[in-house]
Amino acid sequence: MPTQLNRAVIGKEFPPYAVTVERGKIKEFARAIGDPSPFYLDDRVGAASEWGDIIAPPTFATTFRDESADTSALLRELGTDISRVLHGEQEFEIHRPLQPGRTYLCRAKVVDIYEKAGKSGPMAFVVRETTVTDGADEIVGTMRAVTVVRL
Amino acid sequence: MRYAKVYAEDVNVGDALPALVKGPIQQIQLTRYAGASGDFNPIHQDDEFAKAAGMGGVFAHGMLSMGFVAQALTDWAGAGRVRKLGVRFAALVRLKDVVTCHGRVVSKSSKEDVHLVELDVWAENQRGEKVVTGRATVALPSRV
Repeated sequence: MPTQLNRAVIGKEFPPYAVTVERGKIKEFARAIGDPSPFYLDDRVGAASEWGDIIAPPTFATTFRDESADTSALLRELGTDISRVLHGEQEFEIHRPLQPGRTYLCRAKVVDIYEKAGKSGPMAFVVRETTVTDGADEIVGTMRAVTVVRL
Repeated sequence: MRYAKVYAEDVNVGDALPALVKGPIQQIQLTRYAGASGDFNPIHQDDEFAKAAGMGGVFAHGMLSMGFVAQALTDWAGAGRVRKLGVRFAALVRLKDVVTCHGRVVSKSSKEDVHLVELDVWAENQRGEKVVTGRATVALPSRV
């Protein structure tokens, strides 16, 4: 009998959480990917750039996690666990690069859950959107994640 | 100082990005990416856990492959030029896999000062199987 996901989670908005970007974290992230761009790694290049400081790589907002809005918390609420899930899709919209020393506010919401028959059995797709705003409450980016749950 | 790797005027529909070859994927890189990203799912670290979960062993974070695709984009367009990147994780990337990232320009548009280029992006393993497929938009500087 396949797991029944808790569909009441659709529409759930997680409590907003703030993230302050650390300079070292941007560099650690770029190095983990193996991206040597000096715009991520070299403070002097960053300072001389149009952004006035280093910037984060395009996928850096994936590090914006919070106890209340992270995947394990969501999975518990859905009635499943980490061994059953795969990352299906991911999208970033970037209005402005993320930068060190700034504090961003993240608002995450479950926007949809749908089911499909997969090659290895029934699967559910959980769609989560996170809006990232800066100190002036302007949107700097959005993330859309689709988590696949093997039911 | 506004820098440019490529100007909007020099881009044509059908242009291919230089391929970016990453890997072979090693466990140490997955461990490093876990630390850098905060994604400590044991399925990317612990072979026994991954086998017990029915995944046949450890595999790479999808987000690491997406990071590779983003690098291919910014190597070409310049850091800070990506406006949108959306991907589907089409197949698992395993240890020892070599991931090659590609892109091709599908459209161009200009509105006032903003010059956007849309691309198909994808990554393949060493057997030519697509592991990531997606779309990207970059904003490029103009020569004028």
